[in-house]
Amino acid sequence: MDCLVSNDTEARHRAGSTRPDDRTRRITSLEVFCAIIILAIIFSGPLSRLLSGPGIQTGATVFVAVCVQALPFLVLGVLLSGLIAAFVPPSVFRKLLPSNQNAAVPIAGLAGVALPGCECASVPVARRLMQQGVPPAAALTFLLAAPAVNPVVLVATAVAFPAEPRMVLARFLGSMGTAVVMGWLWARFGNLNWIAERARRRSEPRPGVSRWEVFTETARHDLAEAGGFLVLGALMAAALNVLVPASVFTSLSGQIVVGVLVMAVLAVVLALCSEADAFIAASLSMLPLLPRLVFLVVGPAIDVKLFALQSGTFGRSFALRFGPATFVVAIVCAVLAGVLVLGGVR
Amino acid sequence: MRRETQNVLLILLGGAVLKICLNGDFTRYVKPSLHPWLIVAALFTIAVAIVSIVRDIRSGSQSDGHDEHEHTHSSRSPWLLLLPALAIFLVAPPALGADKVLRSGTVVAAQPAPGEDFTTLPQDDAPLLSLSEAVMRAVWDDSGSLDNREIRLVGFIVRMGDGSIDLARLTIGCCAADAAPIKVKLQGPDVDTYEPDTWLEVRGTMVADSATEANGYVPTFTATTLTPVPAPADQYEY
Repeated sequence: MDCLVSNDTEARHRAGSTRPDDRTRRITSLEVFCAIIILAIIFSGPLSRLLSGPGIQTGATVFVAVCVQALPFLVLGVLLSGLIAAFVPPSVFRKLLPSNQNAAVPIAGLAGVALPGCECASVPVARRLMQQGVPPAAALTFLLAAPAVNPVVLVATAVAFPAEPRMVLARFLGSMGTAVVMGWLWARFGNLNWIAERARRRSEPRPGVSRWEVFTETARHDLAEAGGFLVLGALMAAALNVLVPASVFTSLSGQIVVGVLVMAVLAVVLALCSEADAFIAASLSMLPLLPRLVFLVVGPAIDVKLFALQSGTFGRSFALRFGPATFVVAIVCAVLAGVLVLGGVR
Repeated sequence: MRRETQNVLLILLGGAVLKICLNGDFTRYVKPSLHPWLIVAALFTIAVAIVSIVRDIRSGSQSDGHDEHEHTHSSRSPWLLLLPALAIFLVAPPALGADKVLRSGTVVAAQPAPGEDFTTLPQDDAPLLSLSEAVMRAVWDDSGSLDNREIRLVGFIVRMGDGSIDLARLTIGCCAADAAPIKVKLQGPDVDTYEPDTWLEVRGTMVADSATEANGYVPTFTATTLTPVPAPADQYEY
């Protein structure tokens, strides 16, 4: 469902313009909802028994944990997105950003430092920026930079690696490099048609709709939509969290190429939040620093949770291209940053 | 999906998060410092839905036209919001325990920051240490602050694959998805009579130099007394 079209339609409905020709009764989602709730309450006993196997229980806890943990960040994201939609006219961005896409990309990357949220917050904001006329390349750079290079994440990295302060610089350069390179790649090769039409349509001020209404409607709609995809990502992350055996970590020591690739894949499937992944990376002390740096750079750029959010927000056609490209670029940037800052594999 | 249904789903989800914030169960899933943000996020979720409902009622558009609207711009993703809400209301999954420890590899205790000295242990009889601190001292402290010192630890029982018994806690950085185990090998009277996930307070001494590279730096703890205790309100360490 598209927010703007729906808002218009809803505004029409609220204005009382009903369609007399559509009088046939169908089962609506509200009735389906009530049926599901009643069934779930009746069968709550068997349901909890079903979920009480040790592995499934661990998965269920991780699932709820990812959802609960992400909610404040998602709310922050939709709050910002709603505020931008209601109060920041497109002309502001046209004045702030250079008209040249290539020049706008690094500025968008630096702007990412200012949003101390995790991945879940940056997706709705990036979409809103695009709709307010920010060049897509710059909005996508912001999307990748915001969760990875903000102060909270960098401080967490410094705390997790007390003996290796250079990891902070390496992570910053790797993540910023990924964001800027992806922005430039989009400016050069990107095709607007890959992005779902609903995410591209410019928002125009509509007469008769107050800013307060634009804000609450945008926030409500973004929360319901993005929240659903977040839950999907949390489901995948929880399943993989339980299914991926921990022995993959220990079997890697000494094999640098395999180590880098496996850590990159693990960053995608585990979908840890960017404030916590440094502590996990720090605890894997049997691995050299380089694969662990790759883990830290790839994780905030692309993981299953983020992929679900992106395909929900920008469309599947976009996510299927952007996700894999980000994965490759992030590995390359991380390895380069590692060699440059850490001086090799270590 | 009708906006009414979306609103109800948002209220349900916000209510579920508010519930675990109020009854304290949220510590099963996330770190305690997230508490105020969770409350704000839950209230915001409920508020935007209520504002929308009130607006719909005021403009008096409870018309059949919505059916047509739902039909044309259908999005099914908000349905998924039901899953976490139902999981919290009906099942309320418990905090992670022995199963998670068995699924995780061995994680070496964090190294203290350079220049950060271990403070001397309190002089009282058998001080209660967190498992993280006890293991960190056993692995990294060269001054031998734990040698021949009687201490108390609290953790849950894990039966390892090789038949040995560990006393473990899980540490989390952000939420339960990044939980990592911290554990000691437990020796003592009748240790193998306890079921996995039984919470114990044990009193005894750490075996000097028992954390070696060969055993993944898991120290051994010799307990003189083992007392079953109720699980603490906050089951993780940070």
